[in-house]
Amino acid sequence: MASSVRLYLSCIRNTLEAAMCLQNFPCQEVERHNKPEVEMKTSPELLLNSVVICRNEAEKCLIETSINSLRISLKVKQADELENILTKKFLRFLSMRAEAFQVLRRKPVQGYDISFLITNYHCEEMQKHKLIDFIVQFMEDIDKEISELKLSMNTRGRLVATEFLKQFI
Amino acid sequence: MVDAEDMITRIEQKSRKIESLIKQPVEALKTALEGSPPKTKDERCKSANWNVVHRAIMAIKAVDLMFSSLDPEYYDILMKYLYRGLSTGDRPTCEQCLKIHEKLTQKAGLGCILRALSDTVNTV
Repeated sequence: MASSVRLYLSCIRNTLEAAMCLQNFPCQEVERHNKPEVEMKTSPELLLNSVVICRNEAEKCLIETSINSLRISLKVKQADELENILTKKFLRFLSMRAEAFQVLRRKPVQGYDISFLITNYHCEEMQKHKLIDFIVQFMEDIDKEISELKLSMNTRGRLVATEFLKQFI
Repeated sequence: MVDAEDMITRIEQKSRKIESLIKQPVEALKTALEGSPPKTKDERCKSANWNVVHRAIMAIKAVDLMFSSLDPEYYDILMKYLYRGLSTGDRPTCEQCLKIHEKLTQKAGLGCILRALSDTVNTV
């Protein structure tokens, strides 16, 4: 079980290391504009093949690259309804503060829970391998966070219910 | 078109050969990978070939031994098929593909991944 997580993360890390080859490329259609080509998708010659890396039916990762930008979308494991709601709320909380993260995208791509957009400017300001470390660390921590949230919620629910039902004893 | 039909019959012949070779998984994989029709646009050929390669990949048990006998010319095309396998989402396929992907990256390096990503002409 643990080794399959390790394999999944190392596969994503290797793919990101290969795919993060970004350079500045001003927009071809409009002068003086510089847009992340992976978002615009106007010219097919600027895009690489997108890959989906699935660990199982519930978890997957979509990596789309272009000449000046890279988009990573994650779908996090959600075992039941409660985890579903917790994940949605937690990741929405993070996405709304995307300014602070710089590489986070405000809205996840359709079908995924959270998305990152890395442009050539990020690669110039920050180190490439540190960016990849960040993404992989994020993926590891997300699972831990969600299970902690679920645990604390269950504990609190149990306490509240015990207190409430004491009056009926 | 003539080419597509031709290729489909060839792929069927290959799948029969694979069934007989299933005891030696490395041989089966080599047979499956060679003669892959990369320039075809026909979806049926691609999915038929994918089924054959999938069968060969799932039959592999010892991933390390496999690389000692597989020629380097097959690394690129194997990488493309691995990514196709990873996109299916089926648990046993994904586990197997992840195992092979790690070993293949160690052997062939990041260039192999980049060739699989950037090749828009020959897709699997």
